[in-house]
Amino acid sequence: MALTQVSSNKCAGGYQKVFEHDSSELQCKMKFAVYIPPKAESDKCPVFYWLSGLTCTEQNFITKAGAQQAAADHGIIIVAPDTSPRGCGIEGEEESWDFGTGAGFYVDATQGPWSANYRMYSYVTDELPKLINANFPADPDRMSISGHSMGGHGALVCTLRNPGKYKTVSAFAPICNPIQCPWGQKAFSGYLGTDKSTWEAYDATVLAASYDGPQLDILIDQGGDDQFLSSSQLLPDHLIAACSAKKIPIVFRRQPGYDHSYFFIYSFMGDHIKHHAKYLNA
Amino acid sequence: MDLYDTRGVLDVIEECFSGEEEADEEITITRNKLQEKVEEMENFAGHLEEIFLTVEENFGRQEQHLEQHYNDVLQTLSQRYDDRAARLVEEKKVKMEALYGQLLGCGQTMDSSKELIEAAQEVYRSQDKRLFLQAVMPTIKRIEEFAKEEMDLTLCTPLEFHTAEDDLSDVKTMMDSINIVPAPSAPVINPQMANSATQTSLRVRWNLFSDDTVEFYELYYKPVLEDAPVDHTHGADVSKLKVKETHCTVTDLLPNAQYELWVTATNTTGISPASEKALYMTVPSPPAVKRRECSSCPEAALIRWDSGNNNPVDSYTVEITETDTRGVQCGGAESIVAVPTCQCLIQLQQERRYMITVRAVNIGGPSERSNPLAVSTTGTLFHLLEDSAHPCLSLSEDGFTMFYGDEELPLSALAFDDDTFARCVAVLGDLLPVRGRHYWEVEVDDDTEFRIGVAYKDTNRNAYLGATNTSWCMRHILTPTRHKYEFLHDGWSPDLRITVNPVRIGVALDYDGGTLSFYNVELEQHLYTFHCHFQSYVHPCFALDNPGALTVHNGMETPGYTLL
Repeated sequence: MALTQVSSNKCAGGYQKVFEHDSSELQCKMKFAVYIPPKAESDKCPVFYWLSGLTCTEQNFITKAGAQQAAADHGIIIVAPDTSPRGCGIEGEEESWDFGTGAGFYVDATQGPWSANYRMYSYVTDELPKLINANFPADPDRMSISGHSMGGHGALVCTLRNPGKYKTVSAFAPICNPIQCPWGQKAFSGYLGTDKSTWEAYDATVLAASYDGPQLDILIDQGGDDQFLSSSQLLPDHLIAACSAKKIPIVFRRQPGYDHSYFFIYSFMGDHIKHHAKYLNA
Repeated sequence: MDLYDTRGVLDVIEECFSGEEEADEEITITRNKLQEKVEEMENFAGHLEEIFLTVEENFGRQEQHLEQHYNDVLQTLSQRYDDRAARLVEEKKVKMEALYGQLLGCGQTMDSSKELIEAAQEVYRSQDKRLFLQAVMPTIKRIEEFAKEEMDLTLCTPLEFHTAEDDLSDVKTMMDSINIVPAPSAPVINPQMANSATQTSLRVRWNLFSDDTVEFYELYYKPVLEDAPVDHTHGADVSKLKVKETHCTVTDLLPNAQYELWVTATNTTGISPASEKALYMTVPSPPAVKRRECSSCPEAALIRWDSGNNNPVDSYTVEITETDTRGVQCGGAESIVAVPTCQCLIQLQQERRYMITVRAVNIGGPSERSNPLAVSTTGTLFHLLEDSAHPCLSLSEDGFTMFYGDEELPLSALAFDDDTFARCVAVLGDLLPVRGRHYWEVEVDDDTEFRIGVAYKDTNRNAYLGATNTSWCMRHILTPTRHKYEFLHDGWSPDLRITVNPVRIGVALDYDGGTLSFYNVELEQHLYTFHCHFQSYVHPCFALDNPGALTVHNGMETPGYTLL
């Protein structure tokens, strides 16, 4: 589990670094970004995992979201992995932007030829945290998760499937009900096969309806002018309905005028870091 | 020595010890008693010494007085003697002069007789008859003439000296007055001393002139009433006390009232003129703290009270004592003096408990303490401003629950004044004006439509809360399909969905941060934050949009999760 530092830049008093390692889950070289706040020099810090959306790498978040200052202020380590295995040489991997490379959907694929490499769920919930806890001044008992779009779906699924593992969760424009939307249906049928019952294990709306675990406090921001909202890729109302019925606390904020981009994420990142800090530093 | 013996010896020793202890105790008691006695004796001796000095002083004064008096008498007598002697000399002189004159007259008469006799003898011896005849007739005539003159041979002055009896009545008076004390002069009444008055009594002092002997004093007093009739003959309200000392405590007076007092001194000879009139004042009645109008926060408390007096007092003193959880004093006490009005904003330390009392003060001194108010600075405590409540809104006994009833009120009951909410069934809370953090909670029913938040004191009473730029509120609306929550300011709300309906809502106001945040207390869930730099102080506001109830909880500690 050797780490290779790809880059290191001083940022907001701490360091924004990128590492590369050989992933055992994904059977390929993977990059991840990690922001080390100044506080980590002396203390173990909680870790905020950020899952990016379709087409993204570890770079998008660290260059566009502007989360480092807030993370430095609250003493939080941010870990942002890539969104899929890369360079595995699987046929069709690079064919479309919403499947294959850059579109791992944070599932463990069961279908060939993807099942050997496309195990992003295990990677982000298991391998990556172990790697982080072993190599950085991270407090293994304090972690939380957030993400954007496909990453928002990932963050919600990781939380709902692992009660108590994450102190809290938030999301920007998450894909809330993938089994009901074109993106999810395409990805899940590719990675998980045609048996739709297996899809439900990766669907936040379905998982919420049967959630049984510690009290959650979910913060979701959604741009009002998000084209993918209007094209029914995100379906937040389904999740809200499920959570209302199950009394899972969500504050869902529809932010008028904002689209699906990192400009939207940048605008509300501070609120989300604060939301996570409330539980990570409690 | 066996065990039994040992025990026996120990018992004896113990007895000895216990006996000794008892004796010790007795000795201590006796010693204390003796010490007390000695102290008493010392005091008594001191007292005697004082009396001795006073007697000596008085005696000396008396002696001097007597000497002076007798000197006066002697001087008067001597004067009388001199006067009388002078008069005698004068009389003697007059008598002598008169006698001398008479003597001279006699001599002259004798000379004339002698000359006449000699002339007659010469005539008789004359040989010349012609001459004799010529001279005898005139001579006989002269002798006849002379004989006709009668000689006054009585003494021209009386033998007795005229000695008028002297009037010595004044001397007699002087002699008499040696044993009479003069009537005292007017005593001097002292101005009021600090802490000499209570609510119903005054301690008055006066002085006499040291030469005066006084048997008793009479103290007169009467209240000075501002609206008293001009008719001064009406003196029925003058009271009188007879006292032997030069001080007196007048009781059964009215609180916070001015009294006019004067004193006369009396001895066997008579009554002195009255002293000057002095004005004394009884202290006020204690104020009454109005608990329902007091509020507090971690940094301060606003205390309001009723004066407790019908007429104005000079000022109030607020006394603050730090206490522990049982209300027992544990920290220092401090006072705020010269508070001019019936309210006071007090700076306090966070996370403490205080006992606060108020005294009313006038020139006579401070009143008793008011009823105490316990203040805890763990959280923000405020009461609802009943005057601002919409007529349809009623408050519970404790003032923290508000009800909006089903029944329609008759129009007559809808009395609106300027401060009353006229459209929105709302009420304001009396949050104290301190910039800082404030936190309170509101308990609601799932099916109650409400608005809770803050508003400026002068927010439009004809507008709904949140509809203008002078109020900020969280609004709950029941739609046929779901619970809708709005966070309204100036008529605008963000589009927000909340999946779990809060039934206990935390409201956190942070002036310095310029935020007003709402929380689902049970979940510790942040719901929404308004960002606004409040230009002036805001008040909590509560409104019901449909019949129901709403309860305010305050005075609790601000939860840590709201401080991020």
